[in-house]
Amino acid sequence: MNTAALVEVQNLYKRYAPDAPYAVDDVSFEIHTGELFSLLGPNGAGKTTTISMISTLLKPTGGAVRVDGHDAQRDPMAVRRVIGVAPQELALYDDLSAHENLRFWGEMRGLHGAELAQEIAEKLALMELTDRAKDRVGTFSGGMKRRLNLAVALLGHPKLLILDEPTVAIDPQSRRYILDWVKKLRAQGVTILYTTHYMEEAQELSDRIGIIDHGKLIALGTLDELIPLVGQHETLRLQLLQEHGGAELAAALPALDGVIAASATDGEVLVNVTSTEATLAAVIGAATGLGLSVRTIEIREPNLEAVFLYLTGRALRD
Amino acid sequence: MRKLVVLAFKEVLVAFRDVGALLTMLATPLALTLVMMAAFGSGSNSNPISDIPVLLLNQDAGTFGQALTDIFFSASVGDLVTPTLVEDEAAARARVNADEVAALVVIPEDFSARVFPFGVRAQTLTGVDVTTLAPDATLTPEQQAGFAQAFMESQSPSEPVVVEIYASPDWRISALIVKAIVSQGLERLNIQIAGTTTIVTRLMAGMLQAGQSDADVAAAMRAMQPGAAGQEAAGGADVELPIKLITTSATGRGFSWLGYYATSMAVLFLMFAVTAGGRTLLAERQRGTLPRLLISPTPALTILLGKMGGIVLTGVLQMLILWGTTALIGAYWGHPGGVLLTIVLLVICASSVGALISAWARTPGQASAIGSAVTLIGGALSGSFFVRWNLPQWVQVFSLVTPNAWGIEILSRLQAGRAPSAILPWLGGMILLTILYYGVALVGFRRQFK
Repeated sequence: MNTAALVEVQNLYKRYAPDAPYAVDDVSFEIHTGELFSLLGPNGAGKTTTISMISTLLKPTGGAVRVDGHDAQRDPMAVRRVIGVAPQELALYDDLSAHENLRFWGEMRGLHGAELAQEIAEKLALMELTDRAKDRVGTFSGGMKRRLNLAVALLGHPKLLILDEPTVAIDPQSRRYILDWVKKLRAQGVTILYTTHYMEEAQELSDRIGIIDHGKLIALGTLDELIPLVGQHETLRLQLLQEHGGAELAAALPALDGVIAASATDGEVLVNVTSTEATLAAVIGAATGLGLSVRTIEIREPNLEAVFLYLTGRALRD
Repeated sequence: MRKLVVLAFKEVLVAFRDVGALLTMLATPLALTLVMMAAFGSGSNSNPISDIPVLLLNQDAGTFGQALTDIFFSASVGDLVTPTLVEDEAAARARVNADEVAALVVIPEDFSARVFPFGVRAQTLTGVDVTTLAPDATLTPEQQAGFAQAFMESQSPSEPVVVEIYASPDWRISALIVKAIVSQGLERLNIQIAGTTTIVTRLMAGMLQAGQSDADVAAAMRAMQPGAAGQEAAGGADVELPIKLITTSATGRGFSWLGYYATSMAVLFLMFAVTAGGRTLLAERQRGTLPRLLISPTPALTILLGKMGGIVLTGVLQMLILWGTTALIGAYWGHPGGVLLTIVLLVICASSVGALISAWARTPGQASAIGSAVTLIGGALSGSFFVRWNLPQWVQVFSLVTPNAWGIEILSRLQAGRAPSAILPWLGGMILLTILYYGVALVGFRRQFK
C-alpha cells in the first residue's frame, strides 16, 4: 500500500433541501493508493450519498473531494476517467447480452476496438460469465447480474474502484465469490472504496474502516485501532423466547451497573458490558423481571459491532 | 460523436428487442389500418359535410346540362354544397388550384346532343322537346315524319361524353361528395331518358300501324337507346348513359381511405413509441443506468442527445417499415423525397413531446400515463380516428399543438400528389413546434440534472 492519498475528502456536507437535515455532515477521510477502505454504517447512514459525491454524481453542499489530484467539482470529467463504480442497483440493460452490456459501458468509458474486445474477454473470464456472454442479462440470476455489475466497474482499469454494497440481496455462494474476488483485487494493489452495512465484510476485507451514522463519520481507523475503542468490554447476545419485549429490555438494561449500552433487533438483544461475570446475572434477572425468557446467551469478543454499539448505543442492523 | 452513436444504437437495439414495443410500433398500426380499410374500403367514399364551395361550368346548350346543374341547386343537397355558376373556365380552374373551392364541374357544350342524340335531333326537326311528351300525346303527321327522320339521322356517339370534376387536393372529402352529387344527377338523367324512350316507343307502335316498315322502326328504336355506345362511366359512377365521369386535380391524386389511415395510424403509433421512448429516460434513472452513465467520462449533453437520437432513429425506422408494408397493400404516401423528409422531421417533432413528458414527469409510471393520454387525445383531435377535415374548424386549428396534426396535414398533401416544395411551409410550422417543445423540455431537464 502506498501512503499517497488517492482520495481526499475534506469537511464534506450534503443536504438535499435547505431545510433538510444533513445527509452527510462534516465527513473527512483519505484513501491511500492500494488501500481497501470501507465505509461501514446502517442503511440511510450516508454511505451512498458520500460515494455519490466522490464519484461526481452529486454536488456537495460544502467541503471538497479530490481524486487522483482532481477536484471533483471543478474537473468532474477528470475524476470520472480514473474511477470505476459498481452501484448498489444492478445498473445493466436486461435486453442486452452480457457481452453487449460490457461493450456499451466500455464505449462509454472511451474504450473501443481491440482494446475493448480484450477487456471484455478478460472481464467475462474473470467473472466466470464467458459461457453466458451472448445471453440476455434479463435471464441471469441475481448473483450473475451482480458479478456483471462489478465487471462493468472494472472496465478501463480504474485507479479507484468504488463498490457500493456489492453483496446486497444475493445468495451466500455469490457473496463468497464476490468477497474473494475483492480480496484478489486488493492483493493486486487496486484501490477500493467499499461500502457495506455488514460488519463481517468490513472486518474481513478492510485495511481501514470509517464508521458512519446519521451522516457523521463517528470512527475511523484500522480494525486494530477501532476495537480498543470499546476497551475490555464484551458483548452479550441474548436470544429471547418471545418475539416482542426485546426493546423494553434493551431500554431497561443501561440502568444496571456494568451495562454500557444495549440494543434490540429481531428477538435479539445485544448488550455491551464491562464484565460478563459481573453483569450476566443482573441482565438475566432484568429479563425475567419483564416476563421474558432467555433462550441462549452468546458472549462475544470485542468486534466492529461492539464498536458501533458502543459509539451509537444501537446495533448496526437498527 | 462515437459515444453519441453508440448511445443511439443501444436505444434502437433495446427498442427492437422489446416484443411489447414492437407490437405497439408496428403490428398494431398495421392491424388497425387493415381494419379501417375493411370498414371503409381501400378507395373513395363520402362523408357528411356542409357548405362545400363548388363551381359549375355548364357549356351545354341543351336541357340535360341545365338539368345536371339544377341538381346542385336542389333542396336535397342545399345544405351540402354552395354552388356557383361560372363561365370562365381558366379562372375557375385557377380558383380550384388556389384551394378556394372544392371542385369545378365542367359540362361540355355537346353534352345533351351526345347523351340523347335522338331527342336533340327530333327537337331540331319538329320543335318538340321529346322529354316533355305525355304518354298519351297525339303526334301530328309532320311530327311523326320529323321523328322518323330524327330516328334515321341520330347516331350514337363513338366516344362517351366527358363530365369532368376538377378537384382541389386539399378538399379531399368534399371532392368525393361533389362527385357523388354528379353521379346522382346522371342517374336522374338516365331515368328521365329511359322514360322518354318508353313513351316514344309507344308512339312508334302507333307509327307502325301507320305503315312504317319493321326494319325502319327497329333501327330507330336501337338508335334511341342512350347507352348504345356501351360505355360505362369511369371513376366509380355506374351509369348507363354514354357519359364518362372523371375526377381530375392539379396533382392527379384523389383521396383514399387506405392511404389516409395508413399514415394517420402510423403517426398515432409513432407518438406512442416516442413517448414510451422518452419514458425510458426516467426508467433508466430509476434502475440506475442513467446515474452510471452520468459518472462515466461522457458529457451529460452527449448522453441526452444520444438518448434522444436513439428514440428518433427508432421512430424513423418504425415509420419506414410502416411506409413499406402499407405500400405493399396499396397505400400511397406521396413523393418519396417529401415523405422521407416529413418522416424525419415528424419523428423529431414527436420526440419533443416525449422529451417534454420525461423532462417534467416524476416517475416512469407518471410519464407513461401522461404519454398515453397525450397520444390518445392528440390522435382524436388531429384526425387519427376520424377524418381530419370532418372535424370542426376550431378543432383542426387547435390540434396543431400536436405533432399528429402536422403529420397528417403534411402527409395528406403528399398523398394528394403535392410536390415536396408545397409542404415546406407546413414543415416550417412543425419545426417551430419542435423548437418550442424541446425548449420547454430543456428547462425541465436542467431542473432534473441540476
